[in-house]
Amino acid sequence: MSYKQVLLHGLWKDLPPFRLVLGLCPSLAVTSSIENGMGMGLAVTFVLIFSNMMISMLRNIIPDKVRIACFIVLIATLVVIVEMVMKAFFFPLSQQLGIYIPLIVVNCIILGRAEAFASRNPVLLSMADGLSIGIGFTLSLSLVGSIREILGAGTWFGISLFGSNFEPFEFMIKAPGAFLCLGILLGLMNAYSRKRGESIIQT
Amino acid sequence: MREISKLVLVLSLICGISATALTIVRISLEERIDMQNDFYVRGPALEQLFKKPANDLLKDKIVFTMDDIAYPIFYMTKGNEITGLAIEAPGHGGYGGDVIIMIGIDTEAEKIIGLEIIQHSETPGVGSNIEKVSFRKQWNNLLINELVELRARGGTIDAISGATYSSNAVVDGTNKVKIIINEHLDEIEALIQVNLN
Repeated sequence: MSYKQVLLHGLWKDLPPFRLVLGLCPSLAVTSSIENGMGMGLAVTFVLIFSNMMISMLRNIIPDKVRIACFIVLIATLVVIVEMVMKAFFFPLSQQLGIYIPLIVVNCIILGRAEAFASRNPVLLSMADGLSIGIGFTLSLSLVGSIREILGAGTWFGISLFGSNFEPFEFMIKAPGAFLCLGILLGLMNAYSRKRGESIIQT
Repeated sequence: MREISKLVLVLSLICGISATALTIVRISLEERIDMQNDFYVRGPALEQLFKKPANDLLKDKIVFTMDDIAYPIFYMTKGNEITGLAIEAPGHGGYGGDVIIMIGIDTEAEKIIGLEIIQHSETPGVGSNIEKVSFRKQWNNLLINELVELRARGGTIDAISGATYSSNAVVDGTNKVKIIINEHLDEIEALIQVNLN
């Protein structure tokens, strides 16, 4: 694959979480506002770029039989670093995201990219893949977060949009609203792809 | 055999390097994280307990060590007399690790003013209910000289249903604070006097 292809594939063709259908857990759990969704997306992007980089660098050293263990150790290290940096510089955000930050370790997108891409491609290309998938993930979570926050709280980035007379659909910022929002978006994307004659990954 | 030793070697090396990296990051960020904790968590908790601006309260801080655990203690004084203490303590036995609590004490009336939860990793919606006022208000006006216990074990504290571990961790932290106050008050006063002069 060329750099251009790699850089673009995370934005539509393999857009997470919709196209890969991986990493749904944080997409449902932390997208109650755009700020949380974006923060989560950026944390994942950071981990993804550097985990892809390190795994790609070590891909000829790591023996096949213990590769998953090695990947997890590297990913966990990065996640703990992210957690500490977030606590030191973005404390309110780290409180909002809470338990979901350490859970990035078991986010399937990261292990998935390590296994499917970084363990068999050169370093720079792997970093490009991490960047692309990470940006796609951030955009998706921001979109879900925006829809839920606008409908569910009547605000965007905490700024009130509709004045005090607006009665928000509180349902949208609760857990079921996340399923509804994600499901409708996924359905719309599939309908659009089908119309364009693209092959659809999920069945 | 050679293959196995290679597996072990590579995995150990990666783990070792990761541990080193984490230690370096932790040491370099520790102070900043503590500052952020003061500003965003301890400050508001102290404000709740003593109804005074956080900036006045945060600077009066000592650290008391008992059984290798460091307890940050904030104090209020009138002249040279100590009128109030806020002691932070880890409660063992939570479902997701230690529950860090802060207990405000009126040293003149020998009563607890209130309980604040500083940090916890309990299950959202279940154990996290220890943060709710309905649970925490049970601490208001408790006497400091007697230990607390859950009602199920013959005490006075109603546990949160479904979250006995979390409730018990808070009780454990409370009892640590009470032991400090009852047995080591002199040492704390000495530390504070050093700080005052």
